[in-house]
Amino acid sequence: MTKSKKKWSRRAFLGASTAGIATVGGLSLASGKSKFVQNLGLPTEFAESKYTLSVCANCVNKCGLKVKTQNGRVVKINPNPHFPKSRSMLCAKGQAGVQVLYDKDRVKSPLIRTGPRGSGEFRKATWEEALNYTAENMQKIKDKYGAGGMLFASTEGIQEEFFREFSAAFGSPNHVRHPSLCLASGNTGFFSVFGKVPGFDVANTKYMIFSGANRLESFITPDTIDLIDVIKNKKAKLIVLDPRYTVTASKADVWLPIKPGTDLAFYLALIHVLIYEELYDKEFVAKYTQGLEEVKEGVAKYTPEWAEGETEIPANQIREIARELAFYAPRAFVYKGRRTSWNTNDTEMRQAMAMANALIGNWDQKGGIYPKQSIRKGEMELDVWPPFPDQDCIVPMEEKHPLANAADGAYLDFREKVMRDDPYPVRGYFVYKQNPMHSLPDRKKTIEMLNKMEFVAVCDIYPTDTAMYADVILPEDTYLERNDPVIGFKDPYPFLAVRQAAVPRLHDTQTGLEIFQGLAKRLGFPEFLDFTIEDLVKAQLKPFDLHREDLLVTGIWTNQRETVFGKTLKEGHRFPTPSGKIEIASERFRRRGLDVVPKYRPPEMIPKDKLRVIVGKNALFTHASNQNNPWLHELMPTNRIWISTKAAERRMIKSGDWVKVTSPVGEIKIQAEVTEKIRTDCVYVPHGFDHMSKMMSRVYGQGGCDSDILVTREDKITGNAALHETLVSVQKLEV
Amino acid sequence: MARYAMVLDSDKCLNCKACQVACTAENHVPVGKHRNVLHQTTRGVFPELSMKTDPGQCHHCDNAPCVRVCPTGASFINKDGGGFVMIDKEKCIGCRYCMLACPYDARYYDEEVGVVDKCTFCFHRLAEGLEPACVETCPTKVRVFGDIDNPDTEAAKLMRKHSTEQKKLEAGTGPNLYYIID
Repeated sequence: MTKSKKKWSRRAFLGASTAGIATVGGLSLASGKSKFVQNLGLPTEFAESKYTLSVCANCVNKCGLKVKTQNGRVVKINPNPHFPKSRSMLCAKGQAGVQVLYDKDRVKSPLIRTGPRGSGEFRKATWEEALNYTAENMQKIKDKYGAGGMLFASTEGIQEEFFREFSAAFGSPNHVRHPSLCLASGNTGFFSVFGKVPGFDVANTKYMIFSGANRLESFITPDTIDLIDVIKNKKAKLIVLDPRYTVTASKADVWLPIKPGTDLAFYLALIHVLIYEELYDKEFVAKYTQGLEEVKEGVAKYTPEWAEGETEIPANQIREIARELAFYAPRAFVYKGRRTSWNTNDTEMRQAMAMANALIGNWDQKGGIYPKQSIRKGEMELDVWPPFPDQDCIVPMEEKHPLANAADGAYLDFREKVMRDDPYPVRGYFVYKQNPMHSLPDRKKTIEMLNKMEFVAVCDIYPTDTAMYADVILPEDTYLERNDPVIGFKDPYPFLAVRQAAVPRLHDTQTGLEIFQGLAKRLGFPEFLDFTIEDLVKAQLKPFDLHREDLLVTGIWTNQRETVFGKTLKEGHRFPTPSGKIEIASERFRRRGLDVVPKYRPPEMIPKDKLRVIVGKNALFTHASNQNNPWLHELMPTNRIWISTKAAERRMIKSGDWVKVTSPVGEIKIQAEVTEKIRTDCVYVPHGFDHMSKMMSRVYGQGGCDSDILVTREDKITGNAALHETLVSVQKLEV
Repeated sequence: MARYAMVLDSDKCLNCKACQVACTAENHVPVGKHRNVLHQTTRGVFPELSMKTDPGQCHHCDNAPCVRVCPTGASFINKDGGGFVMIDKEKCIGCRYCMLACPYDARYYDEEVGVVDKCTFCFHRLAEGLEPACVETCPTKVRVFGDIDNPDTEAAKLMRKHSTEQKKLEAGTGPNLYYIID
């Protein structure tokens, strides 16, 4: 062992914000509970009422809730109007939360598999039996292959940090998270320029460019609420680039149906115009940035006329947009978007977006983009050190993807390496709150990987397709049945909130923490999770002299009621980049041997008989997680593939016809939606349908699953999945 | 006297269906039925397209045809309770004449109970000081409910600020849903 122990060892600090912690200066808090309540100036009526103030969990937004109970039963979930992030809104998913709790399809007790993998044959087990079984099998894997023989996989959630602590204590270096199936590229692209992933001040802006980000169907609070306000009240102009006529496109001032995979060309040309027409903010660029000359040279050939050939957006329109963007700056921005797993050049595309923002000098400006601020919660210090893993992580991140986030991992690389036993066998798989059968492209490969495992454990609330391949299912309490630690929010300004159980647990389920504690005890490292949620909450709130109850007066607590702009523009501020400046030409990229100014490589040519698949979602569903909810399922019981009228005519396809969609890795049968709302060179498959689990009784076998046809491609810089790189043929099925 | 109405700004509607699920949850609407509806239509040819979503529900008409045709008096206008069109489920025999009479197609038959049902403006919530469930939850606040005779209500302010239209006025129903058209 040559590696320094120091590099790996770390104390367990629980309860801190997971990323981007920034201390808010000038804390001046009223001490004591009663004073806090008085000073808030908000109604206190909820404190005594039959409503439980809590936080939603049906997507990652975590909107504020007032959960109404009658006789111990949740009867309705209302929005909590005091919640700054979601204000008085709750979407269809949030409203359908009642059915998350009472869904007959929930996993109601631990289950141990009795039939073949995927058969859905399980028997009920007690927690004692299920936890013993899980711990024994994990120990077997550890004895046989080392702790690294267990792959841990998890998705964002308030109790996820306990799972991460558990996997670290177990000693496995192999833990993969969701960002490499979602937002890794966007974060890295913006990080390369600003050293931070910014927020976007939608509420105060005058001009916005959105690429694909479908904020009016794929909700992010408060951006969605602010967006409709500024465009409806003509406060701001919205430009949308999307091959598909989404609801967001329909509300935009300008919709540009860009050729899929060419957005980078658009942004390079935008930068070209900003620089060569000298529209950029000269004072800002001189004072806060570095690399202008290098970028100028790098984008010399990327003229709007050139970009027109790639993007099919007229050159004069690109020029006009660049001029408008500069005109409205600094109250203007190019929006990052959330899921940035489209193409193999996604990071460079987001980097170019960030460069355009830097050039117009909108950083840390009202109506522009800004460093998110947060309240630093207290932490709980456990006097334990996770073991130093005996093995290396099977995916050494920097080898293949120079800027992948090592803490999150690149999921598709993990799958590939597991399949090849490279560099050593991984035969155990513990999945928390994740459904890789849908979230990873190429479902056949995911099934192969699952089948290769000697032991699979799944912790979830539903019997998902992944759970069907598990040896044991460990059911977690739903968010309406459990108390969670304190959550630190950043949008639109920093505040704290806490999830509060509205009813006692309904079934034989446990919290994530209890499950991992039970396993840690059996595996011989109970000290890593030796505390209660309330211990943690106390530690988190200690710096503010607050208690859980204080957060339940209005549902939130804050010491700051607005975003403060301009702090990072003060004399002497150092940006968290290698040069300490905003890097229009990224030093971080240079150090990793990457192009400092993005170089454009055109997407794969689409042969005449083929169509490019793009995927996405609507306002009803989060990923593949709630298509089975009875109140959401009735509104969209199945999915249909969108195909343009022209492409459909050539194939004699009419709306409602069954079609066969064939890609290099698989085929699906699905009904067609013939529409004008999409370009002729692509098709759109709404994500999250055709579940294989019969225990998901409503959505079982309904529609087509995009994972069955999507090929495995990665963004080369971050290892993020590139989900829009699949070419398919679409054929009418004779019935 | 108070005149309760709903002012709707269809242009803000995202067709996200939060209102429908909120209504289902609040009013125990059976799966497959809805008290509020959303019709999305797209016009034009790629790429010259326009999209519109039309939110609808019971218009709580002053001269309600459903009330006129009801043979048992089950459908009635609750003059003491805001003038809403209500259904007395004890009196409803499930004949569904009212469903035929309604020009807005705002009623449904609840097979399980054997009665007709529809929007009540969440009458029970108003008593608690809460807005109708669909109004409260809407992300973009398409619907605004209030007394339009009271100049201080949000609904009245919207009526003053915008031009509005009522639907199917020619049917003589005297509807109380006002759609913003400018």
